[in-house]
Amino acid sequence: MKRVDLKRRTFIKLLAGGGLTLAASPLLAEVFKDVFNKFEPINIENPLAFYPNRGWEKVYRDIWNYDYEYTFVCAPNDTHECMLRAHVKNDVVIRIAPTFKYHEATDVYGNKPSRRWEPRCCEKGLILVRRFYSDKRVKHPVVRKGFYEWYKDGFPRDPQTGKPPKKYFSGRGKEPFIKITWEEAFDITAKALKNIAETYSGEKGKRYLLAQGYDPLMIDAMKGAGTQVLKFRGGMPPLGAVRVFGMYRLANSMALLDAHIRKVSPKEAKGGRGWDNYSWHTDLPPGHPMVTGQQTVDWDLVCVEHADYVVVWGMNWILTKMPDAHWLTEAKLKGATITHITCEYSATATKSDKVLIIRPGTDIALAYGFSYVILKEKLYDEDYLRKYTDMPLLVRMDNLKLLKPEDIYENYEPKPLKNFIKVVKKGQKTPPIYKQPSPIITEKLRKEWSDFVVWDTRRNAPRVITRDQYGKRFRIKAALEGEFTVKLKDGKEVKVRPVFDLIKQYIMENFDPDTVSEITWAPKEAIYEIARDLAKNAGKTLIAVGMGPNQFFNNDLKDRALFFLAALTKNIGRVGSNIGSYAGNYRAAFFNGLPTYIAEDPFNPQTDPNKPVKLKRYFTPESAHYFNEGDKYLKVGKKVLTGKTHMPTPTKSILVSNSNSLIGNAKWHYDTVMNVFPKIEFIGVLEWWWTASCEYADIVFPVDSWAEFKNVDATISVTNPFLMVWPKSPLPRIFNTKGDIEVLAGIAKALGDITGEKRFYDYWKFAFEGKAEVYLQRIFDYSTTFRGYKVEELVKNAEKGIPALMMSRTYPKWVGYEQMVEDRPWYTKSGRLEFYRDEEEFLINGENLPVYREPVDSTYYEPNVIVAKPHPAIKPETPEKWGADPNDLSAYTRQARNIVKPWSEVRNTKHPLNRKDPRYRFIFHTPKFRHGAHTTGVDSDFVALLFGPFGDIYRRDKRMPHVVEFFVDINPKDAKELGIEDGDYVWIDADPEERPFRNWQNADKEKVEVARLMVRARYYPGTPRGVLRMWHNAYAATFGSVRGQKENENGLAKNRFTGYISFFRHGSHQSCTRGWIKPTHMTDSLVRKGLFGQKVGKGFVPDVHCPTGAPREAFVKVEFAEKGGLNGVGKWLPAEKGIAPTYEKEDVKAYMEGKLI
Amino acid sequence: MAKVYNWHLKRKVEYPYEEARPKRQVAWVFDINKCIECQTCTVACKTTWTSGKGQEYMLWNNVETKPYGGYPLGWDINILKMHKEKGNDRTLFEVSPDGEVVLGYLPEDEDYMYPNFGEDVCYGIVEKGAFFNGIHQVWMFYLARICNHCTYPACLAACPRKAIYKRKEDGIVLVDQERCRGYRECVKACPYKKVFFNAFTRVSEKCIACYPLIERGEQPRCVQTCIGKIRLQGFLSHPNNPRPDNPLDYLVYIKKVALPLYPQFGLEPNVYYIPPIHVPKQFLYQMFGGKEMVDRAIKTYLNAKNDRKLLGAMLLFGSTNKIIHRFRVDKNYAYGYDDKGNLISKVPFKEPVYIRPLYDKKRDVYRHSIP
Repeated sequence: MKRVDLKRRTFIKLLAGGGLTLAASPLLAEVFKDVFNKFEPINIENPLAFYPNRGWEKVYRDIWNYDYEYTFVCAPNDTHECMLRAHVKNDVVIRIAPTFKYHEATDVYGNKPSRRWEPRCCEKGLILVRRFYSDKRVKHPVVRKGFYEWYKDGFPRDPQTGKPPKKYFSGRGKEPFIKITWEEAFDITAKALKNIAETYSGEKGKRYLLAQGYDPLMIDAMKGAGTQVLKFRGGMPPLGAVRVFGMYRLANSMALLDAHIRKVSPKEAKGGRGWDNYSWHTDLPPGHPMVTGQQTVDWDLVCVEHADYVVVWGMNWILTKMPDAHWLTEAKLKGATITHITCEYSATATKSDKVLIIRPGTDIALAYGFSYVILKEKLYDEDYLRKYTDMPLLVRMDNLKLLKPEDIYENYEPKPLKNFIKVVKKGQKTPPIYKQPSPIITEKLRKEWSDFVVWDTRRNAPRVITRDQYGKRFRIKAALEGEFTVKLKDGKEVKVRPVFDLIKQYIMENFDPDTVSEITWAPKEAIYEIARDLAKNAGKTLIAVGMGPNQFFNNDLKDRALFFLAALTKNIGRVGSNIGSYAGNYRAAFFNGLPTYIAEDPFNPQTDPNKPVKLKRYFTPESAHYFNEGDKYLKVGKKVLTGKTHMPTPTKSILVSNSNSLIGNAKWHYDTVMNVFPKIEFIGVLEWWWTASCEYADIVFPVDSWAEFKNVDATISVTNPFLMVWPKSPLPRIFNTKGDIEVLAGIAKALGDITGEKRFYDYWKFAFEGKAEVYLQRIFDYSTTFRGYKVEELVKNAEKGIPALMMSRTYPKWVGYEQMVEDRPWYTKSGRLEFYRDEEEFLINGENLPVYREPVDSTYYEPNVIVAKPHPAIKPETPEKWGADPNDLSAYTRQARNIVKPWSEVRNTKHPLNRKDPRYRFIFHTPKFRHGAHTTGVDSDFVALLFGPFGDIYRRDKRMPHVVEFFVDINPKDAKELGIEDGDYVWIDADPEERPFRNWQNADKEKVEVARLMVRARYYPGTPRGVLRMWHNAYAATFGSVRGQKENENGLAKNRFTGYISFFRHGSHQSCTRGWIKPTHMTDSLVRKGLFGQKVGKGFVPDVHCPTGAPREAFVKVEFAEKGGLNGVGKWLPAEKGIAPTYEKEDVKAYMEGKLI
Repeated sequence: MAKVYNWHLKRKVEYPYEEARPKRQVAWVFDINKCIECQTCTVACKTTWTSGKGQEYMLWNNVETKPYGGYPLGWDINILKMHKEKGNDRTLFEVSPDGEVVLGYLPEDEDYMYPNFGEDVCYGIVEKGAFFNGIHQVWMFYLARICNHCTYPACLAACPRKAIYKRKEDGIVLVDQERCRGYRECVKACPYKKVFFNAFTRVSEKCIACYPLIERGEQPRCVQTCIGKIRLQGFLSHPNNPRPDNPLDYLVYIKKVALPLYPQFGLEPNVYYIPPIHVPKQFLYQMFGGKEMVDRAIKTYLNAKNDRKLLGAMLLFGSTNKIIHRFRVDKNYAYGYDDKGNLISKVPFKEPVYIRPLYDKKRDVYRHSIP
């Protein structure tokens, strides 16, 4: 190191010249001020006892001191949403701290949480101090060069197809952006939306879309309205009730645009389409609505306080629920037993008494292995199953439908229902959401459901039951097992069997512990031990199920199987005894007054803050998975497998906020970029951080960071009981930003300007006036959870760092209180927990019973095959019936491939890729890590440095894309077989037919360089052989980053035009994934509660019943790319030094064995 | 060399200065069983104290995954090996080479290159499915580390300019930023490698125990931000006079549930760790002072569920940003008090459950768990 020769003046100059952060400079200044005056000798006798010169200690006190502090909420896409304190000096945030005021939160009833909630924060929140001021902020409005030209040229289009000329779009993701004014940004956006909607409206629009090759069913779904090709998404909108949900309000107001363009009445007008969130993120456990009739069962994580036994299943609680990790470790300290089911030796494993490592995606088989033991040893409570589940309901063995009273009796009239349900007659109005006392259904639906039949063992005859006869109200000794004969009303006799009997047969014939051990890799003794633990702790166990198993294609079946296990052990619906699914921050329904905001009638906007709003939803919800699938729905052979209620429209415009998951971090990201985006005519992104989504945008709006909000807002969490409110920030805006809501209002205003439609202004009146609190108060007043709160008061508390409590029925929150403690029926047809699904879509796909399917890609065996010996109730329609080739195992087609095989046959099959090329032999999965809430936080230097083993702040290896770089975890034995040393670079490839993107074989070299995955390999002895793990939280390689790492002198993978930095030289963790859409997620018949309020209907609901994708499904090969040593020479340092796994020198080995004493 | 009393080793040990214990000794308890390696502490520290030039690589606080992780790379393996070769029944001071006060080594620059090497890497290979119960055959754990503010600091002992001192009022060990000339003898001497050389200012720096906070009765940043709630900072009394109502004295001296890190080095470090219960014992014996101490601590920890006072003390971790000087427990709560006797924390043994009415007549609203 070179000695720095500093004169005092030079030093001060250096300080002023920048490069030093504010926090450090006072220290340096102090030190150097006196450094030249302190050469006189000092005699210090014993520095333990006395030190004379302590004046210098002021240095650090000065660094600590600050002018003022204020509260903001850290609101990334996670489930915590912490209120934090910013320490401010000279109007600059210098540091962030927890508030230590959570215990002062209260509700209108005076309930209070304890101090055990403190502190709430994490590294991602504290690092924000470096993000607010980062050069990666979006600093001013920008437009892509080519798009700007298209706009200036007046949006020219091909007269035959309506397509814009290629020249305007070929530069997307590659060319520079141009700085523009806010006014211009709004004008461009409004004109683009109008032009696109006009182009695709009516017959002309239909002609164009057909010419462009869109499917007629998708075009029909537009019903002639061009606004229906405009897609909007406020990402994870519970993160900002006003600012993020505002995107759907904008979508709703597109009805004004449609009325203007098509000259139609408000009655016929259509808004835009609003994309989903919880389901798009593969967070929705899609089987929960199948079993319970509503979105999800879960509980605040603090509930572990009340459990004796905790199963953490496929959930890395310690990593992904960091501020609530202590509840788990404290429960253990207080005596609870923690069992962890995982597919690696995880962080959570270190906190668990018992750790079971299994093959990824085989959770259903494992649940049935446990169930087998419990059934075999008769460790379950039959009476519980009779009262709370559909187990006693009879199934007709001739058509596999549930036996209905009208099958047996002439003119059967369904009985009136009274138990916690309201049936509304035609024309009768349903009360507003906050006044709804119980589930509500229409009379039509009630008739359709009819009643149910059980076998009464006392009378030895069938017996009709209604939905009301649930829990304690059900006193019939109904058969759970056996086959009975029932005489139908036409005199025909049919065999019937209880649901339990069918499921039991399936389990007992297919899932004995030996077989399950072979399927799942779970040692047999673990299956017995955990099964018996569960039975012993019946009614005292919490089962927390994570994102791991949910990100497999068989996820709905997983939910159904795990609920079955929970029902067998009576672990549902109580504070210390429940099952829950954990992924994403979703339950927007806590803000179920949101219709006053997102579905306010744009034709009659309410401009008086104190008057009620008129509700009319004009926007159409849609699953983003169809866009992701290539703007397609699912059709195999002649069979359309996407239900009518789900049918998407073509996508021509995308406007998103808070939404990096849709573009930059999406499943099958490069297919979206290379194959779908060329068909999209406008991409608008609202962001405060320059993400990969911004890289592909046509226009980027810079919005306020969480520290700078000038508009109040609120957010909730699904895993804690707090309501967090943002006060208005005293911090001056750092860049030329606006609040999200101001941007939306600005776009609306510009639409008003170009259409002359004044109601665009009125619709956003309070946004223009800086009074977002009006919208928030309306939401509160109409919400079951928040009615009674005044925004003004909550803001005052928030300023002090105090959140409020959510007012659901219980503190802490848990789902199932009404159903299991108060004995009220669920939201299903039968009111019971339903395990049998007799709807057509389930029957033809062989999923009327909750069967086990092999994963759709992440398996060594034949993918997606239903594992079953011949069973009288498993009779799916096969590919031949739909005119498809049963041997077609391509990814798209096998999504709907219903082939049944017993394990004895499946075990001899191989993944089709492996059959062709044996190098394909790895399951590749991408769970979430601790250092990022998705991508939030990961790329800030101090966090990046700590992200895994390759962080080097000085980038000694110039190949590093950033101060950190991404890696794949591989079992050392697998790596050695492939000649890969610890730290070497490798290439990873999934199904070459379609990944990293369709038709890559014919694409230009640059595209492949961007999309093909290259990473460091890390020896990780905790992952089983054949299973690769790569974390999910990364910035993908883009055109700009790939050019950057080649052309930048320092080798940084940094886009020269935008400043974007990738974590990879090539590709991303999404290079190997695809969307995957599953037939049973797309039914028109599933009964489920709607998103907001108590109304129960059927078919599609965003975030409740729609595709979820399966991003943990990928089967890959790994190849050596480059040596891991510094700049490509030799071995990576820790391997070279003999410290890395399998490279241990003798003394290192001795250390590991505890022998260095 | 003077002879000073080291209570960890229960004997007089060699040290260049006479024993002079502070009025009260700043100390910490870290419960490894709760550490989640979230690095919130690391980032809290770094964004507060070491975000300047020359400090880029510097982590006064770090968390490493044992057994592979170490910042700097292999720090404890290196010193343990040297110590063993010299005879580790004596302290690092007692086996110092000629002309040096303590046995140590200066890490190479590259050893600081990958501060989180070994993150989440376990020892032992998982081949396929596996089941671990009790002591895990495949294992790892997280070790959070700051300066130990030792009673007998090696850095202080080694400093030729006597620019390192121990504050009489609280035992915090500081490098005088004015007086230090950057000889790096302290970097070499500290067996925990918690003194860092700043190549820009040309002086050495280390954890200051956030004294600006401690001086105002607040716990340090790394403690305040610890969401795993593994940390408690307080003050230890003189080892001969433990106070059972002082949580630090209680956990360290009386219950002996928290143990010093590598006490065999002879520095009497003041961060005390509750050892992880699922890790093979031999490794813990090496790290936390031997079989007797480790076995006893783990046994005590496992019995906390039946020991209200111990449990109460541990549930107070993280409940307040203030320094707890005194605590007590009753049937339902544990209470913490500041140095003036004010109640500053109260935590229940079990978080309460509240049920709200289905219909709130006053506000005309139905409340639902499934809204």
